[in-house]
Amino acid sequence: MEQRTPTLRNVAWLWFGITIAVLVVGFRQAIFLVPAEATMGDVHRIFYYHLPHAVLGLIFPYVNFVASLAFLFWRRRDPLKALTADALAVAAAEVTVLYVGICLATGMLWGKPAWGIWWAWDARLTSELLLWLLYVSYLLLRRYSPSGQAGTVGAVLSVFAAIDVPIVYMSIQWWRTQHPAPVFGPNGGGVDHRFYPAILWNMAGWLMWGVLIMLFRFALERRRQLAEQEAALQAIEASLEIPR
Amino acid sequence: MTWHSFLNFSTMGHRHIFFVYAGVWIAQGGYLAWIAWNWAHTKNIRH
Repeated sequence: MEQRTPTLRNVAWLWFGITIAVLVVGFRQAIFLVPAEATMGDVHRIFYYHLPHAVLGLIFPYVNFVASLAFLFWRRRDPLKALTADALAVAAAEVTVLYVGICLATGMLWGKPAWGIWWAWDARLTSELLLWLLYVSYLLLRRYSPSGQAGTVGAVLSVFAAIDVPIVYMSIQWWRTQHPAPVFGPNGGGVDHRFYPAILWNMAGWLMWGVLIMLFRFALERRRQLAEQEAALQAIEASLEIPR
Repeated sequence: MTWHSFLNFSTMGHRHIFFVYAGVWIAQGGYLAWIAWNWAHTKNIRH
């Protein structure tokens, strides 16, 4: 561990530096280089930050889901592995709340100048809000559950919360919505090829950023778990000491 | 767009572009800073 830590730290700093560089290129592409969209003009540039957060906000819940299933599988068979899975689950849930929250906020800031309204209770926006509320409730449940039960209760909720992800994704195909129809995929309307550099640089940048903060949050949770175990062990040892 | 038009707050559209780009960096950077602060203030028992 003594040898591995400096290497991991160097990799993390290198990853951080490359991520910032990619995000700066993405920002330059989105604001200064790609042309304005014909109908919406410059307001369309909000899309380059809205889209990556919307897409990644539907991927991080699955990291939480898989980690929660792993926790439920290992919690009696191998409690140490279960703790590691639980740390990954909480990290993924927090990043989900952040990305989905940004997706909702940027969508509203785009909707007002583009549609003339901040919000519409259509299937896409409502299911996305529900997704955010589910992961906020997941974090609150963990925070206020009795000690020792937080992981299990949270993991069970996580399984239900993950059901909303495909509903969010398919909502613009299943129902008629205020939100535009898909632009990518087999049924997508497509976008002008001149917009691709801004889309791809920002997708890459916010993906790399998301992975970075999720792994950093995971490492923090592991450090907190180990410190908690150490404190519990010391308390048990202290209680077993016989006064002379 | 230029820096001048990016920082032009005369129309709602331009204000919202700035709010989105600044707000995303503040939210993401704030979360990273919160993790880093907790990292520095959580005891590392491996050392």
